[in-house]
Amino acid sequence: MMKKKKFNISLINTYRSYIFLLIVLIFGAFSDNFFTMFNIKSLLSSTSLYTFIGIGFTVCMIAGHMDLSVGYMATAGALVVLGMHTLTGLPWAVSILIAVAVGAVVGILNGLLVTKAKIHSFIATLGMQYVIRGGMYIYCEGKEISVKGDYGLTDKLSSVPIKFLPFNVLFIITLICVIGFSIMLAYTRFGRNIYMLGGNLETAWLAGINSDRATIIVFMLSSMSCALGGALFGIFQGTATPTLGEKGIAPLMIAMTATIIGGTDIAGGKGKVLDTFISITAIVAMFSVVTSLLGKFEYQILLIGFVLALCVFYETLLKYIKQKEIGMRPNLIIKYHEETGK
Amino acid sequence: MTKVNENTTAAKSDSRKTEINKALVFFDKAGVWILVVCLMAIGFIINPSDYFSVGNIRSILQAISLTGMCCAGLAYIVYSSNMNDMSLPMTIAISGMVSIQLVPFGIVVCIFGGLLTGTLVGIINGFMIGKLRANPIIWTLAFNMVLSGIARVAWGGSQIYPDVVAGGNEAALATAETFNQLARTYFFGGSVSLMMVVMVVMFIISYFIMTHTKFGNQLKIVGTNYETARLSGLNVVRIITLSYIICSFCASVCGLFYASMRKIGSYDNGMGYDFSCLTAVLLGGMTLLGGKGSMVGVFGGVLAVGMLNNVMTLIGISTFNQYLVTGIVFLLIVWLNTKSARKLGRA
Repeated sequence: MMKKKKFNISLINTYRSYIFLLIVLIFGAFSDNFFTMFNIKSLLSSTSLYTFIGIGFTVCMIAGHMDLSVGYMATAGALVVLGMHTLTGLPWAVSILIAVAVGAVVGILNGLLVTKAKIHSFIATLGMQYVIRGGMYIYCEGKEISVKGDYGLTDKLSSVPIKFLPFNVLFIITLICVIGFSIMLAYTRFGRNIYMLGGNLETAWLAGINSDRATIIVFMLSSMSCALGGALFGIFQGTATPTLGEKGIAPLMIAMTATIIGGTDIAGGKGKVLDTFISITAIVAMFSVVTSLLGKFEYQILLIGFVLALCVFYETLLKYIKQKEIGMRPNLIIKYHEETGK
Repeated sequence: MTKVNENTTAAKSDSRKTEINKALVFFDKAGVWILVVCLMAIGFIINPSDYFSVGNIRSILQAISLTGMCCAGLAYIVYSSNMNDMSLPMTIAISGMVSIQLVPFGIVVCIFGGLLTGTLVGIINGFMIGKLRANPIIWTLAFNMVLSGIARVAWGGSQIYPDVVAGGNEAALATAETFNQLARTYFFGGSVSLMMVVMVVMFIISYFIMTHTKFGNQLKIVGTNYETARLSGLNVVRIITLSYIICSFCASVCGLFYASMRKIGSYDNGMGYDFSCLTAVLLGGMTLLGGKGSMVGVFGGVLAVGMLNNVMTLIGISTFNQYLVTGIVFLLIVWLNTKSARKLGRA
């Protein structure tokens, strides 16, 4: 009896992002035009920027670090790719490569600051955020950069390759990246090393992982993913401004929220990229549902705040109860469970 | 032969122990005040006639006073190793909005209501983080979003003005005028404003609390090692809750002056204050590990940020490039701080 109940609670906690998505979809059924092809297509393609940022943030958080520079990195990626194509006149492929390379350089700098200069990642990336923002404003001079005339790639990204499925090319690329990162984290040696770094850095080092190099690669992957996401989103929109993807909340905050709702542990060593992706989809779907049901933008922020606060409160309460149980005698714990029914 | 070798190695290890880099010791002691002096020198070289004039000094102090008020509170959070209070922006915004909404009930109720709102935020934060041990960053981030949503929904996403809230009532209009004058009160012929006085008084009180009271010493132990503090019998829940209440109280004072200065209560009043205040506090030599740094250093950090902006404006660096310079200076100072503390065995 008791075993079954405990099983259910842990199940809810593990699949909370899916449950969140399900609740949003149920509410979506009440609103008009939510389950239309066009709406779902536009929803899924607008998740792509947040997903790329979320991937970067999640990978860093699994390794036990916080990368606050991801939001501005994505914006910088979009500006660089459009600037390289429109202002300098390079072909698309080369400009995307340059944007990703900029991301790699920033990531390596972040990693060096964290591992070699031994600055806390929260501070190092906070400083890097200012640097990226400044560099970005210098590059674009505070103006927006748009595609001029050459809309070939933009059309290609928004075209739908498989009929009867609301997936455009941008979303398919996003999905491939999510699956790729999931496989990398779960099945390769390097991916599992990342979990180990987050779990216990010292143990990881003693077990023979080159922890400095691995951390630098983690930061590099994170920034590269953000730069690629920003670049693709910039091309998809055909224009890039220094405030890309901001809808009342900065993209970084949405990615952070999704990462936490997805169940990634802030101390590191636990989490999945797929869960982050599901919670981002749920958040974006929730924005749409709330707008169509309540007709007000303000409720979006209130609801996303409540969902996040509820998740944090629930997790904290579980931890608090567990802490209380430390030192109790096992026979008493069973009695305690029987009495309280937990 | 072996004996000689041993001796030389022993001498080597000895010399390694006693050899302390004097520059690092100096940097560890003086901290961010070196940067302040450097910036003063640069400012004097660029603009010898006007830099030390009353007008320029007043404009520097006026510009940092709002950030300074927040930093005086945020320092407690960083000091107790709780990293950052991400709910600062909405604490600032919501206390200003509440106090403007209370303008028809007189100036005392209006100020008191604003401060009470901020303190309430602090109590909730303190309960969640002190009692239930929630992750400080994640919880305050979530609570910031909740507060932001509440403020937006309650006021319909619009800004409120003291004059409009007062309506046609004569007494209420007078209160609104008094409220607007809060940030525009000057003493000594316009050289010292009320905001500066409040900021300096806050820093002085904070300095005495940190160094001369039981609470300050207990806070240092909690910040250095939470478990040790708990096991040695300190009431850690009370200490952390109190530090959050102080932080939110300081933020609400800042919110009152912010609203009074802009004559607007709006949900984006304190936008960006979470990270800009943390920048100043960290620049002042506090570390995210907690239990290190002092109020003098934090004041230096706040001053350095203000003077950096002032000097950059005097040189003629545009606002966009100022982000870049601020970021690089911030990383450099933090790196030097970390390095000196590590080399001297204090990290």
